[in-house]
Amino acid sequence: MIKRYALLLAGAAGAALAPTMPAMAQQKAPLSILRVIDADNYDPIRSTATAAAEVMYMMADTLVTVDFDMKTIKPGLAENWSVSPDGMTYTFKLRKDVKFCDGRPMTIDDVVYSLKRWTDPANKSPVSFRGGPVKDIRADGDSTLIYELKEPYSDLLFQLALSFASVVDKNTVEKLGQNFGVQGFNGTGPYCWVKWTPRQELVLKKNPYYSWGPPIYKDPKPQIEDIVWKVIPESNTLMAAIQAKQADVTYYMPYIALDTMQRIPGMTVQRQENYIYDIFMGFKVDKPVSKDPAIREAVNMAVDKQAIAKAIFFGKGTALPSLLNPAVLDYDKDTAAKMPKHDPAGAIKVLEAAGWKPGADGIREKDGQRATFTVYGIRNDVNPRISEAMQADLRKVGIDLKIQLWDATVAWGKLATQEFDAFYMSYPYVTATEALNLYFASRQVPTPNRMNWKDPKTDELLKAAATATDEKVRKEAIGTVQMQLTDANVWVPLASQPLWVVAGDRLEGVRAHGIYGAGLYKGLDIKLKR
Amino acid sequence: MLRHTLQRLLLVLPVLFGVLLIGFLLMQVVPTDPAQVRAGPTATQDVVQAIREELGLNQPLWKQFFIYIGRLAQGDLGVSIINNVPVTQELGNTIGPTLELMVASLIWAIPLGMLLGTIGAYYRGSLIDRAIMAVSVGGVSLPVFFLGLGLIWLFGFKYPILPFTGRTGPLWTWEGLQGVILPALTLGGVFVGPVARMTRTSVLDELGADHVRTARAKGLGESKVVLRHTLRNALVPVVTLIGLQIGFLLGGAVVTETVFSWPGIGRLAVGAILSSDLPMAQGTIIVLSLGFILVNLTVDVLYAVLDPRVRGA
Amino acid sequence: MSSATNPLSRPPKAVEAALSTVAVTPVRRKTVLRMLLSDVGACLALALVVLAVLGAVFAPWLAPTDPYGNDLANTLKAPGEVGLLGTDGQGRDMITRLLFGLRTTLLMGLASVMVGCSIGGIIGFAAAYYPRLSGLLMRLMDILLSFPAILFGLAIAAIFGPGLLAVIIALAIATVPLMARVVRGSALVVLQQGYIEAARSLGLTDLHIILRYVLPNCLSAMFVFITLRFGQVILLGAALSFLGLGAQPPTAELGAMAADGRNFLFFAPHVSVLPSLVIFAVVLAFNLLGDALRDALDPKLRR
Repeated sequence: MIKRYALLLAGAAGAALAPTMPAMAQQKAPLSILRVIDADNYDPIRSTATAAAEVMYMMADTLVTVDFDMKTIKPGLAENWSVSPDGMTYTFKLRKDVKFCDGRPMTIDDVVYSLKRWTDPANKSPVSFRGGPVKDIRADGDSTLIYELKEPYSDLLFQLALSFASVVDKNTVEKLGQNFGVQGFNGTGPYCWVKWTPRQELVLKKNPYYSWGPPIYKDPKPQIEDIVWKVIPESNTLMAAIQAKQADVTYYMPYIALDTMQRIPGMTVQRQENYIYDIFMGFKVDKPVSKDPAIREAVNMAVDKQAIAKAIFFGKGTALPSLLNPAVLDYDKDTAAKMPKHDPAGAIKVLEAAGWKPGADGIREKDGQRATFTVYGIRNDVNPRISEAMQADLRKVGIDLKIQLWDATVAWGKLATQEFDAFYMSYPYVTATEALNLYFASRQVPTPNRMNWKDPKTDELLKAAATATDEKVRKEAIGTVQMQLTDANVWVPLASQPLWVVAGDRLEGVRAHGIYGAGLYKGLDIKLKR
Repeated sequence: MLRHTLQRLLLVLPVLFGVLLIGFLLMQVVPTDPAQVRAGPTATQDVVQAIREELGLNQPLWKQFFIYIGRLAQGDLGVSIINNVPVTQELGNTIGPTLELMVASLIWAIPLGMLLGTIGAYYRGSLIDRAIMAVSVGGVSLPVFFLGLGLIWLFGFKYPILPFTGRTGPLWTWEGLQGVILPALTLGGVFVGPVARMTRTSVLDELGADHVRTARAKGLGESKVVLRHTLRNALVPVVTLIGLQIGFLLGGAVVTETVFSWPGIGRLAVGAILSSDLPMAQGTIIVLSLGFILVNLTVDVLYAVLDPRVRGA
Repeated sequence: MSSATNPLSRPPKAVEAALSTVAVTPVRRKTVLRMLLSDVGACLALALVVLAVLGAVFAPWLAPTDPYGNDLANTLKAPGEVGLLGTDGQGRDMITRLLFGLRTTLLMGLASVMVGCSIGGIIGFAAAYYPRLSGLLMRLMDILLSFPAILFGLAIAAIFGPGLLAVIIALAIATVPLMARVVRGSALVVLQQGYIEAARSLGLTDLHIILRYVLPNCLSAMFVFITLRFGQVILLGAALSFLGLGAQPPTAELGAMAADGRNFLFFAPHVSVLPSLVIFAVVLAFNLLGDALRDALDPKLRR
């Protein structure tokens, strides 16, 4: 009885998930993708959120793409490209068969417009720096794009593969103004914007013209008619929805549920091994307590990173052995040996030697200053647990950690202030040069260089790495920076956040990607069985 | 009757003004600078200053208030600082689902509560009465989210037969009806107890009243006495209770909406306040308070319809 | 109590009527106690309240482990597996956390009820005793009542930052108008009594009359309200914690514990079920006790 009822309801529930779909000849329910948070807007140059990027990749294309190994650059809107020997001029040859969602053929002007819009300081994009020191972006004929730099920038191709560099339709941008990416969108991606209900769902439909998918996929054409990105903030609800087959796929499955999901017949659970999304705690190096290198070193020793990574991710995550992720381009192996190991007794020795003596309540003091500091972070599913675990670990060595987590929408504003001593951050990146230039260049103070790390030597090496045209020179320079920062204990590297894609039995061809956190990337090759 | 209603309407105005004023002032003392939020973390000071001017934030407070009231009168509640969407549009989108949820909750909770309360009063002191009262006290003492998560666990995880991932369609469609079952059970569940208790108390009061004794003396059957002479009068305090408890219901709705990802005004309010979206937060607070006042006004008028004794007062 | 003066402060008839009859019928305390003890449910509730208070007060001595340590190798263990009631997401013993959680929760309830009821009580007496103040004061109360408690919680958390203090302030403010109404209602009935007139004619000061004659006769109504309100406040606090506005880590608070544990609901249900059950039990005890008190104090129901 219950079973028959369940079957009946399953059909109805499937239909129910398509409230905005026209009731015309449509056999298959739309692909529903679940996530936990919505983006503030879907303008590629205005939002830094992963929640924006993950949809942007489906709605728009970039000049180049990144393969599933997270290292190899592949063609996108550009069929091929070349770099001048001095590393200052990039020449891209564009495809000619590309059309926007509204059917208008994409022109070179659209590409120039989009890239200029992104990199022009006048537009005040929070991600414009990612475009590098641009001298000029211009068309050469109707299918050649010249991207000219003031000095070499070795990360450019990786940055051009990020959603911020998406090509958008100039007319729609100008027509909608501030409402571009809020009320509408027009790109050349495999799927087109239909309707966005903030904090609830974003509906996409197939781009009927699309046939220019990147070669990392088997089929360059989209296979699904409609997609609904649904926001489900409660992780239990999200989990049970996937389990009850009320939704098809997610990569925001609570880690605790992965084993259970694996046991469900027909469910595919896969991990992207090359995914890089690291969590660290950074210190402001000019605050009363956190400016003391002894404190920073002691924190790195007192925190049991292995246990935290294991407990927080229920055995599905890995502790970071060093400042950067070992999978990243130009990683310096020696920094892992240099990173202090878990050793609470050693931490106490370091503190004692630096003059931090236990006070009446067990918290250490030095010259009337208590060993206490405040950490800020975003209130997501891992930060509350990580911070509480660290708090307990630090209490054991006499350091008092005060935790202040903020709702995602206010957190970025709070993290731009000087109110805190340390902060939690998780970030996606591809190369060592990209990560360290982003966080440690003195020109990036106060944000994203929230550490207030201003060091001429670091600046010099970062620039040398960014402008290097020789791979070895770059690796050498950025390796030295990694070692310097490891020695200074500016960060407490915590864990590498794993990406797991869970897909129901209605789907085939799902493959985890994960560029900038976008687990499904362009959403190609995915098919619906029913 | 009309005079009574008009009188009430007039007396609501100062309350309304107070609500608007407090709603406005409350958000003025929030330490987050809305201009800074709008400008984003990387904005320079002159950008922030420009936005502040655009939003009228550099005007004196009283001026800002009157600008606000003026716009309000024209139905303009400003636009969201986060995503530029007009507040009225968001309110319009979310008020429907919240009303749906409340209606779906009350439509079973009130009759059930009244039924239980009447049975309890009728069999006063019996085992049935005690059981009903025990269940209703238990219901009042249960955390809303616990009930919601329990229902999800039971009907979504253990026996996956009902959807719980948010609104699945308009209430009058089959899909929408299914989607509302669990949220409505949750929100209504905490309401049955108070209604049952209140009904029981007032039916008991009425059973002891003179006109009921007279009816009994006339030899009317006990069930007729209960139905005709007590329940109608007992309705009055129950209706009152519903008016008074609408705030409690709103609170429950916020939590229920969060548990079930229900796209209602409660969730909008929480999100707006947590993200310092000033116009949106003001809008939600004002609408929620207005709703409360409106319900109470309606209750007041109903009160007079149901109980002629009040009209003369 | 003319209901025409005010659209919103119309007496919730059954509630205030029930409460105000109490005031005119002085009941000897011994009788009340005897009546309470003769009711099995009330006895159980009383025992539960006493138990909860004792557990909360002596938590630091009763708790088997450190409430703020961690044991990441033993997280989310089921009851019986590690410790009698298992462990939470940080590997902390649930018994310890529950005891400390109860402590915080009861303190939160006590603080907000005390503050809210004191202010509300003063306003209520003033409104009853000085008819000229009544309109203004009760209108203010109406405005306060137009904000559901949960909205106060949100707004105040936005001002002071999320935390226990925000919850206490919000719940205290939400309690003020309710208490003011109850007190005004029963005080008005008392003020109609002959002995008040007599006291006035003797030239006693207002304060003296209120403290000596009005207050004692309103006490039982106030006491019933406070008992019932305590349960409601704990429930509201839990709801605010659920929304992330309550006690912040590592502070143990039952509502916050239940909310934090909800992420593991399907896998380690005890982490949120146990604190929810404790909340349920405590609130239930206060509700039963409040009911029993009202029954004992209200001669009308003692038929």
